[in-house]
Amino acid sequence: MLLDLDFDVGTRDLRPAGLSAEAERQVERFLFAEARLLDERRFEAWLALWTEDGMYWMPRRPQQESPYDHISLFWDDAMLRRVRVRRLDHPRNWSQQPPTRAVRLVGNVTIDGLDDGGNLVVSSVLQVTEWRRELRHLAARVTHKLAGVAAGGWQIRLKRVDLVQCDAVLDNLEVYL
Amino acid sequence: MSLSDLDLAALVRPDSVHKRVYTDPEIFALEMERIYGQAWIYVGHESQVPQVGDYCTARIGDQHVILVRDTDGGVHVLYNRCAHKGAKLVAADEGNVGKSFRCPYHAWTYRLDGSHLGAPLKNGFAGTCFDPADPAFSLRPLARVSAYRGFVFASQAADGPDLATFLGGAVTSLDNFCDRSPLGKVEVAGGVFRVLQRSNWKVFYENLHDTMHARVTHESSVAAAREEAKALGGMPFELHIMDGNGEPYEFWEKLELRAYDNGHGYMEGIFNPGAAERDPLARAHFATLEAAYGAERAREILGMNRHNTILYGSGSPHTVFQQFRVIRPLAVDRTLVEIQVFRLKGAPEGVFRRALLYANIINSPGSNVMPDDVEVYARCQEGNGTDGGDWISLHRYLGTDREVPGGMVSTNGTSELPMRNQFKAWRRYMAGEAAAGRGLHVA
Repeated sequence: MLLDLDFDVGTRDLRPAGLSAEAERQVERFLFAEARLLDERRFEAWLALWTEDGMYWMPRRPQQESPYDHISLFWDDAMLRRVRVRRLDHPRNWSQQPPTRAVRLVGNVTIDGLDDGGNLVVSSVLQVTEWRRELRHLAARVTHKLAGVAAGGWQIRLKRVDLVQCDAVLDNLEVYL
Repeated sequence: MSLSDLDLAALVRPDSVHKRVYTDPEIFALEMERIYGQAWIYVGHESQVPQVGDYCTARIGDQHVILVRDTDGGVHVLYNRCAHKGAKLVAADEGNVGKSFRCPYHAWTYRLDGSHLGAPLKNGFAGTCFDPADPAFSLRPLARVSAYRGFVFASQAADGPDLATFLGGAVTSLDNFCDRSPLGKVEVAGGVFRVLQRSNWKVFYENLHDTMHARVTHESSVAAAREEAKALGGMPFELHIMDGNGEPYEFWEKLELRAYDNGHGYMEGIFNPGAAERDPLARAHFATLEAAYGAERAREILGMNRHNTILYGSGSPHTVFQQFRVIRPLAVDRTLVEIQVFRLKGAPEGVFRRALLYANIINSPGSNVMPDDVEVYARCQEGNGTDGGDWISLHRYLGTDREVPGGMVSTNGTSELPMRNQFKAWRRYMAGEAAAGRGLHVA
């Protein structure tokens, strides 16, 4: 089961990454490109950005330490990511008719360092303006753990989305932020 | 326009109900008085307030209330209103007030049972009828409070049946909920989801035992889970609980729906937790129950495989996966659903993790399953706002349900018995003896 995983969600006790300015710029462009795939609902291409063991996590409460002893708004592995995308693409996905349209603004991108597993930990701020029947504004601190690819570039091992309204009364959240 | 009891009674027919019950704000206001002002309504669980001074807040109909733990170990349910200027005493969902409540406006203080403790500069009240012993200067408690195995309910009416009598046959679900712990005890743990539905509160209650909607409304999540299972060559628990909605009509027809007085009921289980592939967890859970109660009783407890239970006015406990979807009406077209998750004390930790996982996948605002429910409820709300027709059909298997002690049972699991049963209770609350007995007259 998903809550029996041994997955390191920790983003503290990091060591310096020592990235060049050009490498940092590359990371930033990676986050922009990821956001754009979601804006354009190009979900298959978005799925391909992930490591096979990668986790998408949206905690339910501020400073949530763990997904194992507390509920989460999302705690999706590769299987559940594929299931969600299959549903979003299904012709009878009633709650996506009309679909959610959104634009994402990614800013304040900061390289925090490397974790024990050698993943690059990157912090950013996400502003999402979403439209489905009415306008909704979502904002989050996002923490990515990126795994380097041998051929160059990055894959997502963890995307932690800390919504500012994580513990509020919420409408449906169906699409990844 | 105002409504007489006769007008209200005419909105419910044996086989249909008038759309006004979902759309009329005046009816909603009357429901707050005549249903939520009278019935036993779930406030919270005792485990949410373990220490002296611990509190949590809740809505009983349109009333803001506080559940608080007193120094003597008992709990009280008080209206969240200072007796001085009326300010809400506590604003957070939960917390601890210490040994007394203190109003942030003028520092009037109250003991944990709500009684008046003090107010600054008492000389200023000399010669007035201010009297600390007068209940008018204390926090008002709800008329009746009663707990059933840790589940705390309150009624705003001084008279009426006791809690267990009120719950009738549905109380066996609360028993089974707790019996699944080898200690017979459960606690709220792991957080609470709060989801907004843009629809009338009754729509959700009707959906809880609506077996005809599952494979239609949830077609997209069923298909997604099945395609994924096919690609994987297996059906892990996470997919199994999405797949369940896709059972064919013949499956639903064989289920048994129980309907009890006051709108309550339960549905025989649709998910068999032991059916998930390679589930050593059920065996480990069984072993703890066997040690506590013996094998026969343990089999009986885990064999009670109920899906949704309905406690009308309070919400829907789910015994097998330890959730309680608490239903709080906000307005005629707005409903808040609070999803509590429980730990079975003394059971293997994996059972709790499975409850968390079930909550994440089924009851989170980020669920792949629930959004389609919430969508169709909102469409009912919007559709019933049109002039396209006046009546909602409750015809399915009318006249075929059988009587059992204290209630009815369906002969076909797609019967709309639960909805008819809820509206039978609604009509009695709103227009029957119950309303007349409280001396309420709508001018």
